[in-house]
Amino acid sequence: MGDWRGDGPFKMHIPSVRLIVAWLAFAAATARGLEAAETLDFNRDVRPILAAHCFHCHGPDAEARQGELRLDDAATARRVLKAGKSGQSELVRRILAVDADERMPPVDANKPLADEQKQILTRWIQEGAGYQTHWSFVPPVRSEIPEVKQAAGARGAIDRFILKRLEAADLTPSTDAERVTQLRRAALDLTGLPPTPAEVAEFLADKSDAAYARQIDRLLASPRYGEHMAAGWLEAARYADTDGYQNDRYRYQHAWRDWVILAYNENKPFDEFVVEQLAGDMLPGATLAQQIATGFGRNHRINSEDGSIPGEWQVEYVIDRVDTLGTVFLGLTVGCARCHDHKYDPLSQKDYYRLFAYFNNVPEWGVGPNNGNSPPFIKVPAGWPHAEPQENQFVVPEAVKLRAARTEMGNGLKRPQPGGTDTVMVMHELAEPRPTYLLKRGQYNLPDKSEVLAAGLPESLDAGSASASQNRLELAKWLVSPEHPLLARVTVNRMWQQFFGVGLVKTSENFGAQGETPSHPELLDWLARELIESGWNVKALHRDIVLSSTYRQSSAVTTRQLALDPENRWLARGPRYRLPAFALRDQALAVSGLLVEKPYGPPTKPYLPLRLWESISNNKYEQDHGEALYRRSLYTFWRRTIPPPLLTTLNAAEREVCVVRKDRTNTPLQALTMMNNVAFVEASRFLAERMLQEGGATADERIRYGFQLVTARQPTSDEYSILTGAHASFLERFQHDPADATKLLATGERPRDPSLDAIEHAAATLTASLLLNLDETSSKE
Amino acid sequence: MDQLSLTRRAFFANSSAHLGALGLASLLQPRLFGAEATAGRGVSGLAGLPHFAAKAKRVIYLFQSGGPAQMDLFDYKPGLAEQAGEEVPKSIYPDERKTTMTSAQSSFAVAPSIFKFAQHGGAGTWMSELLPHTAAIADELCVIRSLHTDAINHDPAITLLQTGSQIPGRPSSGSWVGYGLGSDSADLPAFVALSSRGAAKADQPLYDRLWGSGFLPTKYQGVKFRNQGNPVLDLSDPEGVDRQTRREWLDQLAKLDRLKYQQSGDPEIQTRIAQYELAYRMQMSVPELTDFTAEPKQILDSYGPEVGKQGTYAYNCLLARRLAERGVRFIQLFHQGWDQHNNLPKQISIQCGETDQPTAALVRDLKQRGMLDDTLIVWGGEFGRTIYSQGKLTKENYGRDHHPGCFTMWLAGGGIRGGVNYGQTDDYSVNVAENGVHVHDLHATMLHLLGVDHERLTYRFQGRDFRLTDVQGRVLREVLA
Repeated sequence: MGDWRGDGPFKMHIPSVRLIVAWLAFAAATARGLEAAETLDFNRDVRPILAAHCFHCHGPDAEARQGELRLDDAATARRVLKAGKSGQSELVRRILAVDADERMPPVDANKPLADEQKQILTRWIQEGAGYQTHWSFVPPVRSEIPEVKQAAGARGAIDRFILKRLEAADLTPSTDAERVTQLRRAALDLTGLPPTPAEVAEFLADKSDAAYARQIDRLLASPRYGEHMAAGWLEAARYADTDGYQNDRYRYQHAWRDWVILAYNENKPFDEFVVEQLAGDMLPGATLAQQIATGFGRNHRINSEDGSIPGEWQVEYVIDRVDTLGTVFLGLTVGCARCHDHKYDPLSQKDYYRLFAYFNNVPEWGVGPNNGNSPPFIKVPAGWPHAEPQENQFVVPEAVKLRAARTEMGNGLKRPQPGGTDTVMVMHELAEPRPTYLLKRGQYNLPDKSEVLAAGLPESLDAGSASASQNRLELAKWLVSPEHPLLARVTVNRMWQQFFGVGLVKTSENFGAQGETPSHPELLDWLARELIESGWNVKALHRDIVLSSTYRQSSAVTTRQLALDPENRWLARGPRYRLPAFALRDQALAVSGLLVEKPYGPPTKPYLPLRLWESISNNKYEQDHGEALYRRSLYTFWRRTIPPPLLTTLNAAEREVCVVRKDRTNTPLQALTMMNNVAFVEASRFLAERMLQEGGATADERIRYGFQLVTARQPTSDEYSILTGAHASFLERFQHDPADATKLLATGERPRDPSLDAIEHAAATLTASLLLNLDETSSKE
Repeated sequence: MDQLSLTRRAFFANSSAHLGALGLASLLQPRLFGAEATAGRGVSGLAGLPHFAAKAKRVIYLFQSGGPAQMDLFDYKPGLAEQAGEEVPKSIYPDERKTTMTSAQSSFAVAPSIFKFAQHGGAGTWMSELLPHTAAIADELCVIRSLHTDAINHDPAITLLQTGSQIPGRPSSGSWVGYGLGSDSADLPAFVALSSRGAAKADQPLYDRLWGSGFLPTKYQGVKFRNQGNPVLDLSDPEGVDRQTRREWLDQLAKLDRLKYQQSGDPEIQTRIAQYELAYRMQMSVPELTDFTAEPKQILDSYGPEVGKQGTYAYNCLLARRLAERGVRFIQLFHQGWDQHNNLPKQISIQCGETDQPTAALVRDLKQRGMLDDTLIVWGGEFGRTIYSQGKLTKENYGRDHHPGCFTMWLAGGGIRGGVNYGQTDDYSVNVAENGVHVHDLHATMLHLLGVDHERLTYRFQGRDFRLTDVQGRVLREVLA
């Protein structure tokens, strides 16, 4: 892959800080807490300043570049940098200029440099003005596992990387969490469901050293694992059951979703997971399953609006594919280069359209069929995701067949044939590639026809192998080559985010110049190499993470930890976060015994507020009844323009475009959902039934049982006394007004056990609702 | 509420002992819908905002979804009467930007408005007979006839108008405003969206992204009040649970969560306890908000006969005023049904019949309360309509297709010069002839009136500082008071 390091190994030595400029003497430690003696690191210390304050006019974007000066490029920047002589460097003169007309960045740019930043730039030049290739463009090398003082607490390599940084920050790791807490945390993280009392009992009874690892292996082998892992991938892959524009018509893409579940459960190596989704149709001897995997490339929105101009929308679909590739596999904001050269990263507009060319050869039509799958699509076998060998064969999709959309005179709209519920949209290559041009300002109707662009990799990422990757399959293979700088890092970072709440690179969608630098660069690279060298073994890496002491720590926080590390980036404590939306609903279904575990198939339509669709759109929601109401949230029908509010209120992504990071909020609307939504009230009702039926003969036992169902542990005596007091007052209240008990018990469709006393059941329902609303229940702790 | 405040005070005292200043500070600033709630009433926005003195404290945006026909309402083209049925010159309207609904028509015949126009107010503002009530408040309005947009289909056009971009994923205007300025209400969101559909044919749907927060944290998203039943989802306690029981339940929940907090120290637990309390307050404040019984009869009458009917435009206009009074920063009404491809004369008459009176009543109502001075009112849709007829043109009937080249909006209230006409279109109401106003300019102006420099209200996402106005936007200083 050539030399990724640009100027070669970058070394800086302890500076002689006899700096010329008087103000420097007064400037103290930097914003990063950089010690004067510490060696400056270009990528860590300098590039972020140049990127944020200078690249806009002196960066990769040729169009916006001023004075033909590029500060992102060592060779052209030499003009203003005198290595070792900051006093003679134009850059220093300009950033320190008193005269506003001379000063850089210009006053009107609104991006003034802080004194500390001026100091760093000056020192950097004094130390030699060395450049480095941006860290994420250099392939990861296997980091040395560090020596640490507190090695006794380390269970594996991950812990040593974490301990090393903790020692530097003068923090000590927390002890292991309670055993049940560890089990619940891992079960929720690996399967999206809490452990049952029987599983907890089995674990607690197992006194061997391997007890926890045994549980982890059980969880990794559970089919629930694939369902839970798929949920995150569906958001990144913008999977939905509707087309997403205007009337937001139906599509049938669940066969692809089921492929994802199966892939996680079978522990498909991640390189194959990527290649098959990007280009499974182009693999030699491709199977039907590999072809269905390419539904990934068709999950984008499709416009069926009357009057749409097909050429405009066909371009948008390709753009969505490129941008998704950028976010989810490269961790780069390639979409910025749609309209102009990237302002911060070395991606030109031409690079963008060369990437575009990989995805521009689908035999598709820009306007959708107005309900149904858009060609190309293929038939899915009845037993999918399992296919008989004779079924598991590549199928050539039917070509686009256009028909006039309307009979009105003058209507020029043509639509393709729709694919029915037994089809899935896939990628396919045109025999003759569609010519790709650079689109000026990114507009479909402004192609630069002076040059047909061939598919190709951005120069900055491709170190000299430009001839290699000429089509989608070769692009996919390039991504998973062991020397690729980004794919493994971006992937392990998203995994870390899933288990710890924040990625090692917080900006999991952006590893470019404007993204955050990693909190633990050596660990990130170690994990990336581990993933690659294990044969891209996803379950093995998940196992490494959840077996680590870092992951198993107690999440209780001390005042000192909170003050020093409020975001828990150094991980002196375990992760503690509210559960994701899907897990919150699924957990309620599971602990109440309502959950119907039935994998795969068409989406379900659980409860939705009455006329939610009808009030603002032309579609009617036909709610399901019976067991479909209680299937995992992964299967919930996803209408992009009106996504299920229960899930989006709790921060599920909307699925309009690729999203790999969503803020977790804490709002009163979430409280209302958890208190009053029919799904949670019904779950309370059935959790109450379980408490009454299975919990024992006394109120005492029943409350303890309910508490254990939701938290996996026993209540403390304080908790117990609050709960019994609350239960007694609910009981009194319904004894006083038995009609209210009947009303409360009528919430939700599943009939109750009529042999239970209504007053007791209603009181237990409110107690159960308390249990489901506990902060601890809503959190992984 | 006494019990509640006592509980909260005790809670403050308890918690501060555990976490010192940090814990207390986070508790005193529970995150509501906007930024941080202060100890008293209200939710503040970003530090340093507003950037300068605001003319308007809030916005009521009367969004007319579907694209009202500018030449049938405001953009008077008397010269076209004699060209009825003649082809619109290709030099004026080239073929390339016509939607596929009409691009294959053999004729693009001029369809002059069949409605009568007259001048109103001191500035002699032209309006058609469809808008008699709006005509009567002409002196309050700044009518802009030179709006133009980039998109020709509803979804991208309305997304652009709401978020400054055709691509989904950007925050809506109301979310930007809530993020920047917060709210004056402690128990209502900073941004509320309302929707209505009248008796006219209303094929165009709305989408959650129109009031979505995009890449801003979801606490800034507009709360869409439902147009039937409970305005806020899951607001009501389940049947059989009364207020007293809910209070008791919440107190027990808070006790249990506080025990957890003592053990865990996670400040998010305190926030969660505060959010449940805010939910409880909303359960009381929202029903009070939507209870119109204390409104005097003449006020109710002024909004027209449908004011008492939830889900109507008139109801939403009155609700907008009540939201404004309670400190909500950005209130946006979405009225569907302006997409009149066929039978335009009949459909637009129904549409105006339902919206004209309540719109004017809202402006008057605010004025008499002294609130018009600091409330910016915006009226308009996502694009205009074609001067050529879609489908058959007769003396009484025509249809019109989408038209991004020019359309009309009006502004009134906070900081806007009333009785002003701004911008002009060509003789065909096809292209802007003078003082074009792009969607970004509208956004820049709205923010300016709220005291916000649109170039400085930014949010870092994917390594870039995003703005509502992207890299454009000009404040329309000419129309400012």
